[in-house]
Amino acid sequence: MKIAVTSTGGSMDALVSEQFGRCQYFLIVDPETMKFEAVSNLGEQMQNGAGPKAAELIINKGAEILLTGRVGDKAEEALKKSGIKIVDGYKGTIKVKDAVNSYLSK
Amino acid sequence: MPDKSYKQIVILSGKGGTGKTTLSAAFAGLIKKKVVIDCDVDAANLHLVLKPEIINSYDFSGGKKAIIDPDKCVECGTCETVCRFDAINNFTIDQLSCEGCGFCFRVCSSDAIKFDPSKSGSYFECELPDGSKFFYAKLFSGDGNSGKLVSEIKRKALENISSDIEWVIVDGPPGIGCPVNASVAVADYVVIVTEPTVSGIHDLKRLIELLKTFKIRSGIVINKYDLNETIATQIFNYAENEKTPIIGSIPFDPEFMKALINGENVLEVNKNIQEEILTILRQLELQVEISVN
Repeated sequence: MKIAVTSTGGSMDALVSEQFGRCQYFLIVDPETMKFEAVSNLGEQMQNGAGPKAAELIINKGAEILLTGRVGDKAEEALKKSGIKIVDGYKGTIKVKDAVNSYLSK
Repeated sequence: MPDKSYKQIVILSGKGGTGKTTLSAAFAGLIKKKVVIDCDVDAANLHLVLKPEIINSYDFSGGKKAIIDPDKCVECGTCETVCRFDAINNFTIDQLSCEGCGFCFRVCSSDAIKFDPSKSGSYFECELPDGSKFFYAKLFSGDGNSGKLVSEIKRKALENISSDIEWVIVDGPPGIGCPVNASVAVADYVVIVTEPTVSGIHDLKRLIELLKTFKIRSGIVINKYDLNETIATQIFNYAENEKTPIIGSIPFDPEFMKALINGENVLEVNKNIQEEILTILRQLELQVEISVN
């Protein structure tokens, strides 16, 4: 299982990004080992359509769960069709590792 | 990391011209510990009322554009034949017509086309007469507002925000497109300014549908509510069905228009208006408190 987290930086100590489509990084985390891959979000550079582009990216990375603040309309549709579980409502005041731990402890 | 100290409110409307900027300016005049951001970049005009002093200016690049290097160009004309926007003539690219697709760059066999980020405008960090920070942007002709720009200007405004700031006031763009999505993506509450017209209520509904996908709470201000009581009642009923509170209604007042014409804050016009806006602000504070906790 892989968990994708929207992040403001490239490490597990970075703060969660509440934005999905225009977050700076995605951290693709393996919850068993807590090893992660930091992927910079190409969607952020799009004039328009950042959400779907970002969705494409994490779908290609094989994530099954997404932890984030909020997801817009088009991105949500793409993620749901790919069977990715969206867990939203995470605040930009917590670290990525704490978001992952809080999800796992649920 | 402590919780963020401030609440971020975004003022939106769907329909243009309902009073977003007027209300934003009035809120800005009443709230002391604040940062104000104008995200209506296509028609930025909050600065006309708030009278800021620019401290820093930053370049903004919306996307890439192609340029032909005449020293390398062998004048084969291939680029001109593939350009769907007729932007290439006589081996030069008209920057206003170039849509930044990059097709010419890909087909050029002599490596003569540069395809780099182009400057689309600037955004400014400013100080208001009361010492608060204010951010707004200006784009070149032909360049439009985008989610990218809205996100960038908001990020800059929030990156070194002082811990005593209580409110971030975002004057949002009209519509329900990309820039609106970007302006609500990181916000605590949305204030929707509407008016009792056919297009006012129509666009209000579209906006509320959009906000549902973001799961963000909102409250409605009906501006000029007494101009059409039938539609005003429809708005009240709709709001009740949607469980969206009406946090204020402002009667039509020609004094508003005078303030706009003179580039003044409506707060300066008369005490009644100040009282009305203050009442809305109290309602807003209440609603934001409920939605955040």
